[in-house]
Amino acid sequence: MPPGDRATAGVPAGSGADDGAAEPLAVELRGITKRFPGVVANKDIELRVRRGEVHAIVGENGAGKSTLMKTLYGMHRPDEGQVLLHGREVHFRSPADAIDAGIGMVHQHFMLADNFTVLENVVLGSEPTKGGRLDRAEARRRILDISDRYALDLDPDELVEDLGVGDRQRVEIAKVLYRGATTLILDEPTAVLVPQEVDELFGNLAELKREGLTVLFISHKLDEVRRVADSITVIRRGTTVGTADPRTTTSRELAEMMVGAELPTPETRTSTVRDAPVLQLSGVTVADAGGRALVDDVTLTVREGEVVGIAGVEGNGQAELVEAIMGLRPLVAGTVSLGGEDVTAWSTRRRREAGVGYIPEDRHRQGMLLDAPLWENRILGHQTRPPAVKGWFLDRRGARADTGRIMREYDVRAPGPDTLAVALSGGNQQKLIVGREMSASPRLLIAAHPTRGVDVGAQAVIWELLKDARAEGLGIVLVSADLDELIGLSDTLHVMLRGALVATVDPSRVTPEELGGYMTGARTTAGAA
Amino acid sequence: MNRLRRTGLALLGPVLAILVALVVSGIVIALIGEDPFGALRVVADLGDTPSQQTQSIVVILNRAVPLFLAGLAVSIAFRMGLFNIGVEGQYRLATILAAAVGAAVTLPGPLHVLLIVVVAMVVGALWAGIVGVLKVTRGVSEVISSIMLNFVALGTASFLLTGPLRGSAEGQSIVTTETIPESGWFPSLNGLLTGLGLAEPRSELYGFLLVAAVVGILLSVLLKRTRFGFDLRATGLSPSAARASGVDASGMVVKTMLLSGAVAGLIGLPELLGEAHEFGTEFTAGLGFLGIAVALLGRNSPLGIAVAALLFAFLDRAALPLQFADIPSSVVTIIQGTIVLAVVIANEIARRLALRSAERAGSSAAAPPPDGNGGGGGDSPTGDGPDGGRRAATPVAGEQQGAQA
Repeated sequence: MPPGDRATAGVPAGSGADDGAAEPLAVELRGITKRFPGVVANKDIELRVRRGEVHAIVGENGAGKSTLMKTLYGMHRPDEGQVLLHGREVHFRSPADAIDAGIGMVHQHFMLADNFTVLENVVLGSEPTKGGRLDRAEARRRILDISDRYALDLDPDELVEDLGVGDRQRVEIAKVLYRGATTLILDEPTAVLVPQEVDELFGNLAELKREGLTVLFISHKLDEVRRVADSITVIRRGTTVGTADPRTTTSRELAEMMVGAELPTPETRTSTVRDAPVLQLSGVTVADAGGRALVDDVTLTVREGEVVGIAGVEGNGQAELVEAIMGLRPLVAGTVSLGGEDVTAWSTRRRREAGVGYIPEDRHRQGMLLDAPLWENRILGHQTRPPAVKGWFLDRRGARADTGRIMREYDVRAPGPDTLAVALSGGNQQKLIVGREMSASPRLLIAAHPTRGVDVGAQAVIWELLKDARAEGLGIVLVSADLDELIGLSDTLHVMLRGALVATVDPSRVTPEELGGYMTGARTTAGAA
Repeated sequence: MNRLRRTGLALLGPVLAILVALVVSGIVIALIGEDPFGALRVVADLGDTPSQQTQSIVVILNRAVPLFLAGLAVSIAFRMGLFNIGVEGQYRLATILAAAVGAAVTLPGPLHVLLIVVVAMVVGALWAGIVGVLKVTRGVSEVISSIMLNFVALGTASFLLTGPLRGSAEGQSIVTTETIPESGWFPSLNGLLTGLGLAEPRSELYGFLLVAAVVGILLSVLLKRTRFGFDLRATGLSPSAARASGVDASGMVVKTMLLSGAVAGLIGLPELLGEAHEFGTEFTAGLGFLGIAVALLGRNSPLGIAVAALLFAFLDRAALPLQFADIPSSVVTIIQGTIVLAVVIANEIARRLALRSAERAGSSAAAPPPDGNGGGGGDSPTGDGPDGGRRAATPVAGEQQGAQA
C-alpha cells in the first residue's frame, strides 16, 4: 500500500546519493553481480535510491540496465551482492515476491488485453471478489481512487483498444499501483511517446513523487532524463560508473560517462539531392479488410541522393505504406514506380531484384531468421543474386565468405558466420541487416526505424552508412519514431497522420515540438514549407 | 567442436525420448502383469539361425522403406510449417491408380516401372495439391482439409477397388486390382544379401530401398542446398520474414504440398512393385499416420527419418514374436506411442538447450575485447529482454504475463 500522505517530495536532491540520510533508502543495491555462462552481465553494481525521488538509470543498450532491473524485479537472482528495500535485505525468488515487497514494473511493451476495459485490465490477476465473482464496484472504487490520487485521468469502462499510447501507459501504471507498488520501475517509458505525451507522463511522475512513491526511470534519452530525474546513475559495460546530479550535469557529460566518447549526431546538411526520381508514389491507397483506408492517397517522390523522412505517431499508416512500397500489401488505388518504371504489379522479389533494399521495422519478424545461422540470414532477401547463390543452388561458401566480410566491415560482433542469429544483440542483428541490404548496392532503400533498439555506437555507424549511401546517389525512405534522427537525416520530411501525408516540413527549420504538433494533429499545414 | 556440440544436442532429444519411452512401456507391461524384461528380450531377439536373422532384417528393412518415404513426405511440409495429415489418403489413392495403370499396360521392364512410379507421384501430388490450393485461395487450414481429403481418398479408393478397378473374381474374400505383369515388377535385392555372405531369407528385400535412398538424398540436397529449399525453410522458420525477403508465400504452399504429395505417392510402391503386384483390401494401411510420428522422431532431417523408420520397423517386427510369447503385441504400439510423445517433449528441451548454448556463444563474442572489467553484452544472454530488440513495437501486445505474475 502507498505510504499514506507522508509526502517526501521536499527532500532536496543533493549531489551525492548517500550522505547519512536518516530515512532508510527505498532501494539499495550493493555489489550486485550477475553472471550468465561465459559473460558477466552485471558487475559490482551500486545503486542507492532515496524514497520519493525519480531516479534515472542511463546506459547504452546492452550496458546491463535490463539485467539489473530483472534482478530487482525478481526475474532472476544475483550471483553476488545484496538487495535492500527500506533498509532490509530481501531475496526475491520470483516477480510475485517483488510485487509483494512493493515493487512494480511498467514494461516497455504494454501487456494489456485490447478487448478488455481499463477496469478489467487493471484488476486482471488480482481481482477483488465477492462471493466468487468479480466485485466490480470495489474494483471501480479503488481504480478511481488511484486515478484521482495520481491524476491518471482513467475511465474504468473504456476499452483499451480505443486508447492512445499515452493512455495505455497510464493504465499500465495504474495496474502497478493497484497492486500496492511503492517503487515503480519504468523501462524506457518514453520510447513510444510523442513529445506532448512525454510531458504528460512527466506530470504523472511528479504526482507519484508527491505521494512519496519512488520511481526508477530507465532510459538512454539524456535530455528527458535531465528533465525528470532527481538523480542519475550511469551504467556502462555492466557496472555502475557513477552518479550525477541532473541540475549540474550537461547531456554531453552524461553521454561521455555513458559511452566514454562523444555522442554522434545524425546531422547532414550538404544536400546531395539529384534530379532523377528513384521512387514515385502517386495516389497510393491501402485499405484494411473492412475497407477503411490505412494509407490514404499518398503521393511522394524520392530522388537520387535524397532522404525522404516520414514522421508520425506509430500506427498512422507508416508500416502499411512501407509494405505497400515493398509489394507486401496490395494497393486499392495508385501506382508505385521505380526509376520511372511502373512496378505496381511487381512481386516483392522482383522489386528487390530491381534494387530496392529493405530494413524492416521489426527485424525479428521481417528481417531475420532467428533460428538460422548468420550466413543464411545473409541470403535472406537476396536468394536470387550472387554471392549467395549460383544458379539454382545456394553458394554456401560464397555466402559464408560474404557474411564474414559484412561482419568485418559493419562491425557485427559474433563468433562467426555459423552463429545463430538469435545469439546476437539487437544492435549486431541490425548492423548485419544494414550490411546485407547495402551489399546488394540498391538504388532505393526503405529504412523503417533503422536505429531502433540499437546502441549509440551502432546508431552512429548506421547513420554514417546512410549518409555515405545517400552521397552516392541512393534514394532513402526513412520512417522513424526518433524525431532527432528524422530531422537530422532527412532532406524532405513528411508527416503522416491517419494514413495521409498531412504536412511537409523543412527539416532544417522544424523543431521536434513543432513536428510533434503535426504528428498529433494539433497543428495543421498552415505555415509549413 | 561447435559442430560436434550441435550434433550432440540434436541427438540428445531422440535418445532421451527413447529411454523415457522404454521406461514408461516397461511400467505399462509390468502393470498388465507381464515381465518387461522378457518382452524386451523378445523384441530384441532377431532369431536363432542365420536364415531367421536375415529374414528378420529383411522384414525390418521392408517395413522401414515405406515408413521412411512417409516420414519424408510429412517432413517436407513440416519444414515449411505445414501439417500434411493427408499423406495416408494421398498414398492410398496413388497406389491404387498406379496399380491399375500398371496392370493395364505392357511396356519393356524399366519403362513400365517408371510409368507406375510417375503415375503414383502425379496422383499423390495432385491430391495434396488440392490442399495447397484450398489454403492459398480460400484460407482453409491444411490440417482440416487434408484430414477431410483422407476420408474422400479412402472412400474413393474403396469404390474404385470394388467397382471399376476390380480385378479379382466376384465372391472372393480378398478384393484386389488386376495383377501388374512381370515387366512392372521391381527386382529384389536378395542377391545383394547373399553376396554379403548372409543366409538366403524367405522373403524378398524390396529393391525400392534404393529408390527410397535416392529420394532421401535428393530431398536432402534440395532442402539444404538449393534456392527452393532455402525459400521453403525460410518460410517455415518465419513466414513474415520470408515474405519480406520476396518469397511468394502462396506459390510456396502449393509447390510444397505438390512435392510432399509426390513423395507420399511413393509410399505404397515398395510393396506394390516388390511383393503384392496388386492393390487390395489386404494392402498395408496406416503408413501415412505413422509417417507423422517418424518425421517427428527424425526431427525432419532425412537421415534422422531413416533412423526413426528403422526403429519403428524394428519394433513392428516384434509384434508377431510377442504374440508367440503370449505377450500382447500392442506393447509395440505402446512403445511407439510413448516414443512419439516423449520425443515432442525432448525435442523442445533440446531446442531450448541449443538456443541457450547459441546465446552463450553470441554473448561471449559480443563482449568487448578484454579491458579489465570483462563485462559487456550484458542484456543479450537473457534473450528477448526489453533491450533485446523488439523495442517499441506497436503497443498492442495481447499477452498477459510478467507484471501480475
